[in-house]
Amino acid sequence: MFRLLEESGFTRVRSAVVPRFRFRKSSTQNAAEAYGVKAVMMMAVKPGGDSGAAA
Amino acid sequence: MTDAADAQASLEAMLKDEIIRMYQEVADQPQGEFHFFHGREAAELFDYVPEWLDRAPPAAVASFAGVGNPHERSNLRPGETVLDLGSGAGLDAIIASWVVGPTGRVIGVDLNPSMCLKAQAHAAASGVSMDCHEGRMEDIPVADASVDVVISNGVINLSFRKRRVVEEVYRVLKPGGRISITDIVSAKQLSQSIVNDPKLWAS
Repeated sequence: MFRLLEESGFTRVRSAVVPRFRFRKSSTQNAAEAYGVKAVMMMAVKPGGDSGAAA
Repeated sequence: MTDAADAQASLEAMLKDEIIRMYQEVADQPQGEFHFFHGREAAELFDYVPEWLDRAPPAAVASFAGVGNPHERSNLRPGETVLDLGSGAGLDAIIASWVVGPTGRVIGVDLNPSMCLKAQAHAAASGVSMDCHEGRMEDIPVADASVDVVISNGVINLSFRKRRVVEEVYRVLKPGGRISITDIVSAKQLSQSIVNDPKLWAS
């Protein structure tokens, strides 16, 4: 996703892991961990204009 | 169409049905047990402001199925136009409406028309208005350069065509517009058995 955002023209692309995300069922959580699945927050700006995005 | 394109279209149609079924079930039977956290429990897990959760219609809170808190870094300001991509039962759109105020505007887009109706009813019960359009995130039914901020919560990962979704988000944003999105990502390529199973993919 990070790369897709940059390739689509977004700037100031940033991400942070959602620290407390997890699946309720342990079997799903274990499978997710095996695939490196995590929840992330992504912020980015479309160039031009006066962005209100804070650092 | 080629066989591969036919297969992809067929898989996407099945996925659409499964997504509608699963999230309709969360909205209709929020007391049910799902493999993901949902409702107030999930919103509290992601640090939603308790006052928001007390103030929002209980059914909107109970149906919440996000994976994080896009409001944490959205920096919404009064008067802004916000698009909630995959607005579901409306909790994130309602919170955004409170922040942007009466001079702002919140637009929801959801695959499921009945969820749009539900979200609009929840918004009205919260004292705000919200326009919700049935549509796909790969073809967002919103004009070019018309939105200040796109928020989304656990939705883009459901698409087979994420590049197309990101391009659409870019299209609808005004120059200088921004996104605050929470979503699921995977460090490894998912197995073909997961990709080919709409139930697993929708999860």
